[in-house]
Amino acid sequence: MSADRVLVQPSPLTLERRARWSILGRDWKLGYVLVLPAVSILMAFIAVPFLTSILLSFQDIRVGGDAVFVGLRNYASLLFGANRARFFNSVWVSFLYTFATVVLKFILGMTLALVLHSAIRGRNFFRALLFLPWSIPAVVSAYCWKWIYDDMRGVLNIELSYFGLIKEPILWTADINLALWSVVAAAVWQGTPFWTMTFLAGLQSIPSELYDAAHIDGAGALQSFFYVTLPSMANVIVVTTLLSTIWTANSLQYIYILTAGGPANSTETFPMLALNLGLRAYDLGMGATVPLMFFPFFAVLIFILTKHMLQQD
Amino acid sequence: MERATTLGTGVRARNSLWAALTYKNRHWLALAYVIVVVASLWAIFPFYWMLLTSVRHESEMYSRDPALWPKSFTLQHYHAALFETSFPRFFANSFIVAASTTAVSVVVGAMAAYALTRLRFAGRPLIARMLVVSYLAPGSVLFIPLFALFVSLRLTNTLHGLALAHLTFTVPFSSWMLIGYFRTIPVELEEAALVDGATRWGALWRVVVPLSAPALVVVAVFSFTLSWNEFLYALVLVQRKEVMTAPVGLTFFQTADLFYWGAIMAASTLMALLPVLLYTLGQRWVISGWTAGAVKH
Repeated sequence: MSADRVLVQPSPLTLERRARWSILGRDWKLGYVLVLPAVSILMAFIAVPFLTSILLSFQDIRVGGDAVFVGLRNYASLLFGANRARFFNSVWVSFLYTFATVVLKFILGMTLALVLHSAIRGRNFFRALLFLPWSIPAVVSAYCWKWIYDDMRGVLNIELSYFGLIKEPILWTADINLALWSVVAAAVWQGTPFWTMTFLAGLQSIPSELYDAAHIDGAGALQSFFYVTLPSMANVIVVTTLLSTIWTANSLQYIYILTAGGPANSTETFPMLALNLGLRAYDLGMGATVPLMFFPFFAVLIFILTKHMLQQD
Repeated sequence: MERATTLGTGVRARNSLWAALTYKNRHWLALAYVIVVVASLWAIFPFYWMLLTSVRHESEMYSRDPALWPKSFTLQHYHAALFETSFPRFFANSFIVAASTTAVSVVVGAMAAYALTRLRFAGRPLIARMLVVSYLAPGSVLFIPLFALFVSLRLTNTLHGLALAHLTFTVPFSSWMLIGYFRTIPVELEEAALVDGATRWGALWRVVVPLSAPALVVVAVFSFTLSWNEFLYALVLVQRKEVMTAPVGLTFFQTADLFYWGAIMAASTLMALLPVLLYTLGQRWVISGWTAGAVKH
């Protein structure tokens, strides 16, 4: 990496300064001055809140009330007590929501990237169109879908009944068996372009010599996909999948706007549960505990991702 | 460096054989056209429907007419959104928060990125790691403690409080994107300036900053849209209407179960305008920024 190159050092140095150099590094003064603002912001608004969250999880604390230390009671309540059913429901819903959304985005993203990478005409035009959903604010896309899904006036039900496919309007976001999948569809719609574009960049970075070699060895289109394309894109796939898993699992807009966790908690993922318990029921301690219970899982993902993203160093 | 060149020329530089394979096989090519057309329709439809709803008469929405094109045209929903609600206020708040967040995060991010790519000091790898971790840190873990902290610091219901909360994702984002960019600037240019007697600080301002002006603009643009679009912190940290931002303001176009869809879609269109424009112009850069490190060679 460029920073490791040795620069020309103009001035002679005293022994004392030389000694400090070797411990703190050549440019320690300017280095620390330059990173100080960023580090303080991250400390104050990420590290401190994270520690606060752990502290809150051991307290019975209401909005506007006094805090009482209760040990592990919030954790026990979620795992064994009054909130048990609702908590495990949110584990299952979070898993279903995240898994379904990520798998669909993977399949669609890969398909569209391959199509955009093929010999079709107007690739740049289609590329721009397919990127559109990613560019609008998530709240706006959530409202667009809420309107499309509307029971009586929504275009989806109107078209379906016009073509005689349904007799009664389908309650896309109010049917207990359907609501989660309606939210997944909206999230997939908005999230797919990110996958398409990263996969496309990955495809374009594969050296064509690899395909030539595969061709000489007699590989067809499918074989070169499985033996050249996929292995060459391993890193892109891992990073995109992990990044999108973290974003998807932790996103709240689609669920908050389309269903608010209902009907009957059938779409209550853990961020929604945290919001409902923490701020709507004014139980901050419980609200802080819910995401913390999921945190070990994300810590593992973040650990792996960090390794991949710092690989260039 | 590799990444930038790949993405810069990528659109046309396809892998010859892969292209040849799809050329030769007409069935594959036909299938590709079908997929891309269907996918494009799917991608555009919600936009189209948003625009359409925002300009047709209220009465048309109740008619259950299956036609997918408008039969009336009106700007009454835009008028309603702009002159009969607090939406202009929400817009202004969004703008203030996004602009101040952007200004801080570009300066702070550029400083950190420069130090992490060019300078040698103890703890550099640790700080780089910390930056990536905070870039990935989920907001769902932070919103409740941030709310609790902000209540005790009297920062809830203030625009500067919300801007501070937005720094949690714009600062790591800006630093991370700029690290990727600074790596592509040849270090020899600075070395030349240093040999000519410039200080590190002088080299930063006279060589690196002018060279990275385009990257700084791109980072500023995307920090701005991240903050402009942000929903969770805005929802939790602000309850008073006077300081509310546009994403949360959208939820006010309803009374109980009645939604004013024309006005919601008009306001949505106005809100989406800026990000759509910016992302369409700069999609190549933002994607490479998000996944810096993933795409190589």
